[in-house]
Amino acid sequence: MSIDWITVAAQIGNFLVLIWLLKRFLYRPILDGIDARESEITQRMQAAVVAKEQAAEAEADFREQLSDLRFRQSEMTDSAQQQAEAQRDSLLAEAHQRLERERQDWAIHLDEERAKYIAKLHKAGAGALLSLTRKALCDLADQNLETQMAHHLVTQITPMAADLHRAAGSCNAALVTSHAALTPAAQEIVTTGLQQQFPGIAVEYATDAAQAPGLELRLGGAELAWTVDSYVDDLAALIEEQLAAGADLKAQPHEI
Amino acid sequence: MTLSPDQTLLFEIWGIAINATIFYTWVVMAVLTGASMLVTRNLRPDVPPNRWRTTLEVIVQGIQEQIQEIAPNPSRHLLYFAGTLFLFIAASNLLLVIPGFTPPTSSLSTTTALALAVVLAVPLFGITSRGIGGYLKTYIQPSFVMLPFNIISEFTRGISLTMRLYGNIMSGAVIAAILLSVAPFFFPVVMDLLGLLTGMIQAYIFTILATVYISSATSPAKPSQSALPEKETL
Repeated sequence: MSIDWITVAAQIGNFLVLIWLLKRFLYRPILDGIDARESEITQRMQAAVVAKEQAAEAEADFREQLSDLRFRQSEMTDSAQQQAEAQRDSLLAEAHQRLERERQDWAIHLDEERAKYIAKLHKAGAGALLSLTRKALCDLADQNLETQMAHHLVTQITPMAADLHRAAGSCNAALVTSHAALTPAAQEIVTTGLQQQFPGIAVEYATDAAQAPGLELRLGGAELAWTVDSYVDDLAALIEEQLAAGADLKAQPHEI
Repeated sequence: MTLSPDQTLLFEIWGIAINATIFYTWVVMAVLTGASMLVTRNLRPDVPPNRWRTTLEVIVQGIQEQIQEIAPNPSRHLLYFAGTLFLFIAASNLLLVIPGFTPPTSSLSTTTALALAVVLAVPLFGITSRGIGGYLKTYIQPSFVMLPFNIISEFTRGISLTMRLYGNIMSGAVIAAILLSVAPFFFPVVMDLLGLLTGMIQAYIFTILATVYISSATSPAKPSQSALPEKETL
């Protein structure tokens, strides 16, 4: 066991060289790398903190926008609902008005149709009544209707001759109108009958298609009529009564 | 039987005899430097660390943490010095497993050189840290009477470091050589395993003690530092 001082000096030199080599190739690169990585990690963490703060701000902003949007959506929904309800009420009111108007129009139309039908029925009834009467009178009594009507006119004016004279005054002409032209025999009967009551009176004859079957006499201010209007009115009333009964029967199932 | 590799002359360079101690020291230096260069040659911030770089980082940071536990505010120079001490002694002792390799630390000249380096480093670090006046004051603390004892303490530190490391490593090599002649197929393996263990322990102890000496010279004296002699007994 001895110490070689030359070797000691050489080893001290070797050790110093080794310190320099390891400092150059080991410690400095490793420690600098660690420091750089720590610095990078610190920067990244700071960036992460900043990003997190930004994300939190963005989240808060987003939540605020979402809340605002929900509020606006609620408002828009309420407004739309109110508009829809108003529009529905308007449409319903309009429909009700239109239905009411149509119902009124339909009622007017029904009244018009009814009036037309009644007029038509009145006319047809009058014609049928006159035709049946004439046929029955001819078949059963061998008499002419117009002739009998002329006799009836003459018979009827006889008791009221005084009243007719007062009504006629100074009038010396009489007008006899009928639905259809009177036969000459019937005109002769009427003319004779009137001249017996009013001597020298001129009798004129005229036809009026709008007039009901029968005779009308106009003498000054007096006017006398013997027509089938009253009979036709009775017939129309009877038919209307029957029609009303039929309408009630039709309406009953709907009411049930 | 040769006890010291200083006596084994391998070759000459320009008339200078190179013994086994110096040669194997160069081998250890080449291994440490070469490995460091290979790992750190492509070390850039944009390149992710590989397993070798991570290994070196673990080693360097382990040394740094050990130093920080002893010295409150260590400088990088202390890391360079103490870390190189540890890596050199540890690598020398670990290469013992290679057949034909003689650890330089089994040479009394090497351990003396390392101890002298520590003895010289203590005042250098102390003067750098405190200034020359502040450092010299440590020799007369706690009183002027302690000056000779402190001076003696400085030299005995070196001697103790030298003998401890040399004795452990050389004794292991000698015992392995003796047992190799007695039971050549069994005991050398066991002794080599024990040699690896004691070699790492000695590297750790040598480095720790050197760090303690340097840190005691660079920091103000504290009452708690009375524990230093206990560590020295290792």
